[in-house]
Amino acid sequence: MNQPFLKITLGVYVGLFLVYLYGPFLVMGIISFQQGPEGGPQFPIIEWSTFWYQHVLGFAPPTRVAPLPIGEALTRSLTLAFATMVVSTVLGTMTAQAFRTNFKGSGFVFYLVVLGMMVPGVLLGLGMSLVANQLGIDRTWWGTAFVLHVVYTFPFAFLVMLAIFNRFDGRVEEASLALGVTPARTFRKITFPIIFPGVLSAMLFAFTLSYDEFPRTLFTGGPDVTMPIAIYGTFSVEIHPNLFAFGVLTTLFSFALLTVYGLLMTASVRRSQARNSGMQEDIE
Amino acid sequence: MSAENIQSNPRFLIRNKHYWLLAPGIVWMTLFLVVPLGMMVYVSFWTQTTFAISNDLTLKSWQTFFASETYFGALIRTIRIWLTVLFLTILIGYPAALFIGQMVRNKTTQTVLLVACVIPFWTSFLIRVLAWRPMLGKEGAINILLQKLGLIDAPIEVLLFTELAVIIGMVQIYVVFMVGPIAFMLARIDQSLIEAARDLGASGWTIFRKIILPLSLPGVVVGAIFVSVMVLGEFATSSALSGRKVNLLGNIIVTQVGSLKWAFAAVIGVVLTAVMALVVTILLRIVDLRKEL
Repeated sequence: MNQPFLKITLGVYVGLFLVYLYGPFLVMGIISFQQGPEGGPQFPIIEWSTFWYQHVLGFAPPTRVAPLPIGEALTRSLTLAFATMVVSTVLGTMTAQAFRTNFKGSGFVFYLVVLGMMVPGVLLGLGMSLVANQLGIDRTWWGTAFVLHVVYTFPFAFLVMLAIFNRFDGRVEEASLALGVTPARTFRKITFPIIFPGVLSAMLFAFTLSYDEFPRTLFTGGPDVTMPIAIYGTFSVEIHPNLFAFGVLTTLFSFALLTVYGLLMTASVRRSQARNSGMQEDIE
Repeated sequence: MSAENIQSNPRFLIRNKHYWLLAPGIVWMTLFLVVPLGMMVYVSFWTQTTFAISNDLTLKSWQTFFASETYFGALIRTIRIWLTVLFLTILIGYPAALFIGQMVRNKTTQTVLLVACVIPFWTSFLIRVLAWRPMLGKEGAINILLQKLGLIDAPIEVLLFTELAVIIGMVQIYVVFMVGPIAFMLARIDQSLIEAARDLGASGWTIFRKIILPLSLPGVVVGAIFVSVMVLGEFATSSALSGRKVNLLGNIIVTQVGSLKWAFAAVIGVVLTAVMALVVTILLRIVDLRKEL
């Protein structure tokens, strides 16, 4: 498949494809600089201003546009995402570790876990609220919503770790155990450094998916809203450019997160390379 | 093998250890995934009155669903939009994946292109949906652009608050889930296979049909599972971009829950689960997901 004509055509196509993907993204960025507070979320731009950014961050004078509940909702979302990340990664790693040996019923367990990412949020949210109603449990973001976030992100962590363990040479561990190193120490010194990039990816998946999760939280989150629910709340009323300014800010935040991930990943790769080149290094 | 033998066999301990590793995950998924879904099926047979719900079993909610034009129509509409979006994501996504996975042979460029596809995904899902409004509206970016270029005289009005808007939005949001798996499978194809075919005189089209397409099929299926599951459970895109005119099954569930019609919401939930289970089962018949990892 090296015909130059086809290659050029497809290259141009991919360019157009990226324009399609980035179109709304770009418009969002432009409109976030709309004049405020009268300017609406549409063209033309009346006057360029940073009013909506000030509005999001709470510096703007009060207007008829209600401010986004940044402080509380965002804190809740981040707390929830963090807790989900920890639990999902631990569960995912444990389950994937168990899958390293064949066992009876592995197919059943595999599909039970994968089902968690397959079932649409709206169904799970509905089912969980019915259970909560039946048992008389209050629906809260840290309770009913949290367990569903884990149900959703645990399969992703599991699949990432499974892929990592599939390429894992078990003999390294066996060698360590045979040399009399305790299992706990072997895990800490041998297994964990090798699987660390996978753990990092699993954490990243779990955090971002949970942070942006919304259909499950909609039904089970209770009265205290998380960030996506607060945004969904604006659907029914008029939307304002402050949402777009917020979108730009969260995207920047995501990039910061991605950069940290990239740096940790590079450091981890470099460390393992250094270790491979200097095999004499003692296992401290 | 005698009982004593099993006891002394270290494999027995290892096997046991694995059950302990599995237990937390299985318990979590059973309590918070299987039980809620079971509860949904159970509640769909409860008796729903205007203000209350009681656990006397009845088929009444089910009869209402299939007798009602609105609800049964929503099922048909959901299936129609799902098929359209699925078809378009394959049609639009495959060539892009072909370029990334096959044409670009440099690993770094490949990664850069894939990351470029994923970046918009880093903006909140709901905000991405809302960003289509200033794109598609009567005075939106697309109409302004087309008018400036002199391609149209009057703004196209069917772009926003129609089924078309929902489809445009959904395809843009979900196409990445199609591109990723396909590009991944395409990049794994051994180039010597293609060279061998060419040396034997196969045309570009034959190579595509006989080698590239079959080997990328698992990617298409995995992508199709992702897209199907997400589109069938959708309600936010349809309510935001159709001005609540296009009601999918998901939208009806949200409305019913809002008015505390739990039994009815549960019926729709079960219908949606059944459709989805059918779709995923058929797709999994084509490839074995576990083998593709």
